[in-house]
Amino acid sequence: MTMSLFSLSKKMKKLKLQKKQTQQTGHPQPVKAIHSALQDQIDYIKEKTGNSTDVNIRKLQLGDGIGPNVAVVFIEGIADSKAINDFIIESTMNHRTVHNSRPLFEILLEDVVALGDVKEITDWENLFLSLMSGESIILVDGSHKALSASTRGGEQRSIQEPSSQVTVRGPRDGFTESIRTNTALIRRRIQNPNLWMENMKIGSVTKTDVSIMYIKGIAKEDIVQEVRNRLKSIEIDSILESGYIEQFIEDEALTTFPTLYHTERPDMVAGNLLEGRVAIVVNGTPFVLIAPAVFIQFFQSVEDYYGRADIATALRFLRILIFFISIIAPAAYIAITTFHQEMIPTQLLIAIAAQRETVPFPALVEALIMEVSFEILREAGVRMPRAVGSAISIVGALVIGQAAVQAGIVSPAMVIVVAITAIANFATPAFAVAISSRLIRFGFMFAAATFGFYGIILGVIILAVHLCSLRSFGVPYLTPMAPLIVENLGDTIVRLPLWAQKKRPRLFSSELENRVGENQKPQPPKSKGMVNSIIEKGDQDEN
Amino acid sequence: MEKARISLYQLFVLILLFELGSAILVPLAIEAKQDSWLSILFGMAGGLFLFWIHYRLFLYYPELSPPEYMQKLLGKIAGNLLAFCYIILFIYLAARVLRDFGEMLLTFAYLETPLFMVNALLMLVIIYAVSKGIEVVARTGELFFVSIYLLAITGFILIVFSGLIDVNNLKPILEEGIFPVIKVFYTQTLFFPFGEVIVFTMIFPYVTKRKKVIKVGLFAIGLSGINLAITMAINIGVLGVDLTSRSQFPLLSTIQSIQVAEFLERLDVFFMIATVISIYFKVSIYFYAAVASTAIIFKIKEPSKLTYPMGLIVLFMSVTIASSYAEHLKEGLEFVTRYLHPFLLILFPLLLLGIAFFKNRKRSTQPSP
Amino acid sequence: MKIERLLFFLIFIVSIFLLSGCWSKKELTDLAIVAALGIDKNEQGRYVGTMQIINPGNVASGLQGGGGNQGPPVSIVSGTGDTIVELSRNTSRKLSRRLYYAHTNLVVISEELAKEEAINEILDSLERDAQFRSTAIIVIAQGKKASDIVKVLTAIDKIPANKVIKTLRITEKTWGENIAVNVQEAIKTLVSPGKELVVSGFRLSGDVSKGTKTENTQQTEPSALLYAGSLAIFKNGKLVDWIDGEASRGSLFLLDKLKSSAIAINWKGKEEAVTYELIRQKTKIMAKMENGTPRVSIKVEAEGNLGEIRAAADVTDPDVLLNIEKAIEKEIKKEINQAVQQAKTYKADIFGFGEALHRTNPKVWKKMKSNWNDVYFPEVKTEIVVDAFVRRTGLRNNPHKVNK
Repeated sequence: MTMSLFSLSKKMKKLKLQKKQTQQTGHPQPVKAIHSALQDQIDYIKEKTGNSTDVNIRKLQLGDGIGPNVAVVFIEGIADSKAINDFIIESTMNHRTVHNSRPLFEILLEDVVALGDVKEITDWENLFLSLMSGESIILVDGSHKALSASTRGGEQRSIQEPSSQVTVRGPRDGFTESIRTNTALIRRRIQNPNLWMENMKIGSVTKTDVSIMYIKGIAKEDIVQEVRNRLKSIEIDSILESGYIEQFIEDEALTTFPTLYHTERPDMVAGNLLEGRVAIVVNGTPFVLIAPAVFIQFFQSVEDYYGRADIATALRFLRILIFFISIIAPAAYIAITTFHQEMIPTQLLIAIAAQRETVPFPALVEALIMEVSFEILREAGVRMPRAVGSAISIVGALVIGQAAVQAGIVSPAMVIVVAITAIANFATPAFAVAISSRLIRFGFMFAAATFGFYGIILGVIILAVHLCSLRSFGVPYLTPMAPLIVENLGDTIVRLPLWAQKKRPRLFSSELENRVGENQKPQPPKSKGMVNSIIEKGDQDEN
Repeated sequence: MEKARISLYQLFVLILLFELGSAILVPLAIEAKQDSWLSILFGMAGGLFLFWIHYRLFLYYPELSPPEYMQKLLGKIAGNLLAFCYIILFIYLAARVLRDFGEMLLTFAYLETPLFMVNALLMLVIIYAVSKGIEVVARTGELFFVSIYLLAITGFILIVFSGLIDVNNLKPILEEGIFPVIKVFYTQTLFFPFGEVIVFTMIFPYVTKRKKVIKVGLFAIGLSGINLAITMAINIGVLGVDLTSRSQFPLLSTIQSIQVAEFLERLDVFFMIATVISIYFKVSIYFYAAVASTAIIFKIKEPSKLTYPMGLIVLFMSVTIASSYAEHLKEGLEFVTRYLHPFLLILFPLLLLGIAFFKNRKRSTQPSP
Repeated sequence: MKIERLLFFLIFIVSIFLLSGCWSKKELTDLAIVAALGIDKNEQGRYVGTMQIINPGNVASGLQGGGGNQGPPVSIVSGTGDTIVELSRNTSRKLSRRLYYAHTNLVVISEELAKEEAINEILDSLERDAQFRSTAIIVIAQGKKASDIVKVLTAIDKIPANKVIKTLRITEKTWGENIAVNVQEAIKTLVSPGKELVVSGFRLSGDVSKGTKTENTQQTEPSALLYAGSLAIFKNGKLVDWIDGEASRGSLFLLDKLKSSAIAINWKGKEEAVTYELIRQKTKIMAKMENGTPRVSIKVEAEGNLGEIRAAADVTDPDVLLNIEKAIEKEIKKEINQAVQQAKTYKADIFGFGEALHRTNPKVWKKMKSNWNDVYFPEVKTEIVVDAFVRRTGLRNNPHKVNK
């Protein structure tokens, strides 16, 4: 395994080099070469960084010469100061004997710096890139080259349980803000050299590290290429979160539905990579993007795969129901109370009519008041400091629930509808879809208020047409339901047992051989003898 | 022609939804009284034959759409003229179906709403869908097909469980002999809904596996015929012949009769969902065929640009073709089935097939160098 | 370009929503939900419609709205007109809300009106109206005005219309002398030349004026009480007469509507000594032509238990049970015969013998159709076969004897 890892990192390095070359060809203006005198070098760095206080420059003396001939430059906080102290500064200081036959630079590279990833740098641009990403730069007096040693580190959030996608059963680790930790978390799950990774820097100012990961041989080559191309064509000053990237590479901008999946869970990413998808890991955020994403994916939770298939299937049906409830429930209430009073049983109608008797607003206004005030409460609850949160929920419960009803401003039935809608919305497993259904809901409410169920049905058709017209990296959004791919239906609304899901998603994985072997269905022991012998033994013991 | 690919299953779904379209709502073949289901089945058999004709024609020119092979067969002017006739037919039929729908909605739920509004809303949705292309229409078809069938099965179970069906209403079979049944067959069911399958000739070239088109098409027409026959038989079983024939929308009356467990009643919304969705597909397919043919004849590169103006034509036509629902129905049954459909749905395709046969025979008998 | 088009589209949609102004919209607070409709005719020969309008606040004993049970659960409004639609619109002068018929589950027609003119003319407007449900039940106000039946308040079911419908349904199921016929079934029967209509009557005991006050529901024994009456027989859409008692149960047997009932039979000379609890039955009517006259064979299969034995009988003996079964069969046969005879005297084929003939001999039927009720139906020969089964005898086998 270490072998393969090694070869892979080599490969990556090669790729990086290639990239650098392409970048260089992309920017034809000549790069300033590094000055040769140490003091000039230091002055230039100071000038370029505006004498920033977190830029540490430590002058050292290598060998027993006179005065400092080497300087270590690093940025405090993002570089691992312990590694710098132990393996660069200390070893430089202890290296007293210098053969004048070899240049200082070579001595440093070969004898002194005790770190794994050390590179030569010949121009200022790369020097600053390395410096700003947390590597430490070793400047040598009299040389046009500098060394950059990989000492990235500094304080980071440790791996914690993801807060956005919580499971009862399943691994507890979640992504952090550091790209290397994140890619490592993925690689730990897929220990295979075919897990390939490509790096690039996006953002003309922020120079954010972005990696794409996929499993060579499973992911479809043209989708990987598409992801690569779209990422490369991004021109923006900054990438602060994966959401920035998402907005540049999605297929359709005019939609409320997410066409990329984002997750905090490494197991989710691993599972998706194994289905042939591509992961986009962005430095500085725990949210990893997965492409292509299909609609049904947003109704699946990783836990579905860890638990029993039948229960997972039932839960998925529930989630689809939840989605419809959270979109249509208030609209249906409006439609029934203002257009289609004939469609509900008499007793129920009387009950609703009795409640609405004192309500001064038309049903639409009543629904809007409740829905908007609920949205306000939710927004307040999300943004407020934790300590105030409980106060809000008390006020909210009082205002929305009791007081409004007692004052006769809204009817209890409406409160029930709003409550169900809200809970349904919380129960949607993917936040990205939950939030879009919040928006669509208001559209449906207006449609219901003007045309009743006709409006709602038309809304559903428009929604269906819209979803059908969406694509994610060329893959139709509603795959495998529309277009229907029967062999992939096993992991949609129903979740078949793993041994029955033989095929990978056809539209975005090139690996068409079966995922599981033949005859994997678990069975009781073939001979009854094993069980029976135990019973017989028990009988004999009694005798 | 847009670049699109339709799978066989999508073709199947589209044909089925199209055939069921408005036919499931109206008292189809009720002139044959309790034997209307028989008339429908005859009509289905005729529809199978017509489909075969269209398929043979398609096999002669698998890469071409009908307006293109019409030009090849009849010459540029005559071919274009005939293709233009079909465009008008498709637009007219789309408008008719839209009118049917609007009238239905106005009669049973939205009494005070102007017809124009109801039609305009559905037409807007259809324009939106068609401008997205046939692939999107086909995919929505797949999506709704399942839900429509679930709905139908639920409705069927409810009707059976509420004990509404009186089989005696379907007796005696062939009371007046076979002649009335045959008459209804060649005056109505052959054309509506089964003859209308001609519109799918515009979609054939998109289908991925051409050889299997015939199998899928025949299966879809057969299934839709059986479904329609069952629906009509249930309508008569529940309502009786007299009430069915006097009902504007017998299926609505049937659904309204359901009363199960004091709770599952007043299920009009079932009917409304089924209606809106099936009409949406029927009009969409007609409209798509009209738009696509127009784009081909007038050599317009982006058919989606045609959807807005042509959609407005369909919309205004749907409101103005008749001044009352009775006139609208009379027009449909007397004028259309007598003077339009026999020529456009049967005679011309047969003629084209004949010409294609002779032209291609000549070519194949010539010794190839 | 694309954004512009989208903007145009959005504005278009929004303006449609705004301009449409909700044509068919009807807020719940603008509706007067009609629970029952009573139709009478006044001295001037105009129709009088009495609507029972639900007062939702007083029905649902909810949290809000203040004193739930103070007012009456329904209010009455009436209007006159030359047609049904006219009288309905006429009421708007007395009412602040729109009449809403989608929840009208009961139509009451006065006996006088039903005798005077064919009720199919009344039913047309009900059938044609999009709001009105054809599943509404029809009853005839027996011996009273329809408005009286609609006006009276009832105790357990707060809405009187519900009380009437539920009473009919329950008694149809457990006793079997009444039948709940809805508008759709009534019209189906009216248009059929081979069948005449039977509808249940509803009666009122006590004082109408007391019945309209809420006090009527606040006493253990209401001063005015609604109860199911006899069966009304129609001919050509007009009420001809009433049948009740055993003949009406016989009619339900023939209509295959009977679900369960209790039939008392004589045993060993003692009258009404054994009671048979019918739990299910199936009646088949087959018609055929015999020597030029129609002949109808009626086959009844009844199944039930013994509910009461008041004479010495050894019901552990299957042979005794067989004899009891025979007695039951005789009793049922008698009831059916009574019903047939009564219908024949009114020359009204309420059992659908004509339809049965239509199914089996369509050609003969064509000739007889026009004169069926008056000429052929009274001449129909009937052949009744009853198969009754006693399945169980309850928790005890033989009845107890008092040994003193």
